Amino acid sequence: MSPKSIARTVLFLILMAIMIVMVFGISGQVIKYGVMVMAAVSSGEGVSGTENAASIMSKTNEFMASLSIIITALVSIFVVKKYAGSNERVRWEFLRRMFLYEILMAGVILVLFPFFWMLCTAFKPAGQELLFAKPVGQEQALDNSAEQDQASLHGNPFDIIPESPTFDNFRRVLKIDSKSKSMGVIDPVENKKNFGTYFLNSLLVSTTAAFLVTFFSAMAAYVFSKKPLPFKKNIFIFLLATMMIPGMMFMVPQFFMICKMGLFGTKWAMFLPHLASVFGVFMLKQFMDTIPDSLLEAAQIDGASEWQVFRVVIIPLSIPIILTLFLLTFLSNWSNFLWQLIVTDFENPLSITLPVGLALFRGQYVSELGLIMSASCFSIVPVAVLFLFAQRYFIEGMTQGAVKE
Amino acid sequence: MAIKTTKDTSVALGFLSPFMLFFGVFLIFPIFYSFYLSFFGTTTDYSLANLNFVGLDNYRTILKDIQFWWSLFVTFMYAAISIPLGITVSMALALLLDNKLFGKSFFRSAFFLPNVLDMLVVGVIWTLIYAPEHGIVARLWSWAGGGGEHFFNAPGILGHPSTALLAVIIAMTLKGAGFGMVLLLAALQNIPGDVYEAADIDGANEWQKFWLITLPLLRPIIGFMVITGLIGSLNAFTEIYAMTAGGPQLALGDETVGSTSVAGYYLFKQFNAGNYGYAAAISYMLLIITLVITGVQQKIAGKKNNDGGKRK
Repeated sequence: MSPKSIARTVLFLILMAIMIVMVFGISGQVIKYGVMVMAAVSSGEGVSGTENAASIMSKTNEFMASLSIIITALVSIFVVKKYAGSNERVRWEFLRRMFLYEILMAGVILVLFPFFWMLCTAFKPAGQELLFAKPVGQEQALDNSAEQDQASLHGNPFDIIPESPTFDNFRRVLKIDSKSKSMGVIDPVENKKNFGTYFLNSLLVSTTAAFLVTFFSAMAAYVFSKKPLPFKKNIFIFLLATMMIPGMMFMVPQFFMICKMGLFGTKWAMFLPHLASVFGVFMLKQFMDTIPDSLLEAAQIDGASEWQVFRVVIIPLSIPIILTLFLLTFLSNWSNFLWQLIVTDFENPLSITLPVGLALFRGQYVSELGLIMSASCFSIVPVAVLFLFAQRYFIEGMTQGAVKE
Repeated sequence: MAIKTTKDTSVALGFLSPFMLFFGVFLIFPIFYSFYLSFFGTTTDYSLANLNFVGLDNYRTILKDIQFWWSLFVTFMYAAISIPLGITVSMALALLLDNKLFGKSFFRSAFFLPNVLDMLVVGVIWTLIYAPEHGIVARLWSWAGGGGEHFFNAPGILGHPSTALLAVIIAMTLKGAGFGMVLLLAALQNIPGDVYEAADIDGANEWQKFWLITLPLLRPIIGFMVITGLIGSLNAFTEIYAMTAGGPQLALGDETVGSTSVAGYYLFKQFNAGNYGYAAAISYMLLIITLVITGVQQKIAGKKNNDGGKRK
């Protein structure tokens, strides 16, 4: 064996060890998380529910561990086989690839870890959010809070999935736990201040805004792309120039206008000032420029009216880009915190949207991390799921502006 | 023919009118309205009717307002650190992904995902990660043998003026890096392979290829990232609101200033205190600064284009 091939084998073993740790860690955490969520959801409310979930967790512990060991073993066998079977000459390349994967995986862990932590903390029972996972028996032995704190300092900080999960945080932010239900009889308005209401408000505001913006933008883009109009080019350049104005500029005057219109604290105020999207017109116009004029002429010869040409020819052909604009507008209204904060009337729960509700909530329950995190889930999880299904539209849409520069 | 043109124009105006209505009312009119409002003063009871005319006082106050100029300085620092850091991280990710890899789209999506998530929530999560005593960073340090009394516990990362801004920037870089990565990756894949082959023949090493070929070809994208980074810094608000609320405080001569109080946050604070006229005046100052920046950028971009023309 030449020294070169020894060095290569040693390097392979090191990379292999890192890979085993990574695969075992990730698969173990993901499986455990799945079991934890199921245990929490299926168990009831309160302390007994938590104990029930904890017993489910401890019963399935061995099963979870063996499952992730099996996955790790399978992946390891696959990689070793590939390495052993590969040609001597490509082995350095093989190692380089392996290293690349590990670096990228470490990056993914770093970027997504905060969200995973949030998803875990949302399931932790009150008062235990900051404790890292420990075996259940040990936890009960330590009733002194100082001791508990000391113990948690020595727990593995990476092991963040709760051993005794609970679904109570979600019940409390939705105000469907037994305590809020009895309070709700006394104060129905206060009881409406829950994340179910906020979520529906945000959904309504964002969807309406996205629908109207795409509609208006599509009509305007059609004119700029296909219709004759005096000074069309100059108007378009003027529109683009206004994109340079920082958004902060509009906060004060738009707020005054909304107040003078008597819309303060209504859902209208949340999206009305954002209906003219220059970016949307720009994006759609760029796309419509690629639709051949002959298609429009053919439709006109067939006797289609102006409106029919727009509806039957232009819209169907522009569907991908329209969908992109819809999603982006939805997103920007979904997380438009500053504007929604200043036009919200906090006495009226029907006008509170998710980001504002979260800010309000955070002020009320400063130390209850589990509650804050489960409230955050309402904002993040739907968008993340949407992204998974429509990522192509999101990524292409958001990076459009740069490519055209 | 003339009749048809008028008809076409009226149809065009019809299609354009809904957009133009909202554009005029909510984007053009406010620019003038804001200017008008900037001559008015404060209301203490938040009622808009009681604003009193103060003339040019707001602009006079701004010139002497240390807090305002400090907030501009913080904004500048925010941009000066976050833009190079963001470009470096995005570039590293893009170069790593610019290989033939199985599961490339998985990595691309995973890095891009934080971009679409709500800024406020991301800020809240990071505040808790940085929190003294119980935050992940403090815990890790204690766990790794740092004992009980260390920097991450006592003032905390967000509690010390010298680290707070940096901590916000790191959180935002991890959130936003995937965006630049996708832009740079697309540009990298558009570079034709024969350029590198030619360099190979000339005997260039990897480092030289990166500095002399890749980087110059990516200049338009990097320029775009700098501009969006500058505008982003001028508009920065939510991350500061969620993570530091402008603090921790710092003594600057006779005044105490917030060490992370960026211009956007200072504007919001004035607005929230009922100083509507003053807030409008500040936003006018920000507009002027933005115009100067874009003017300079246009000049640089124009100059570069001319150079390119000459070389051809």
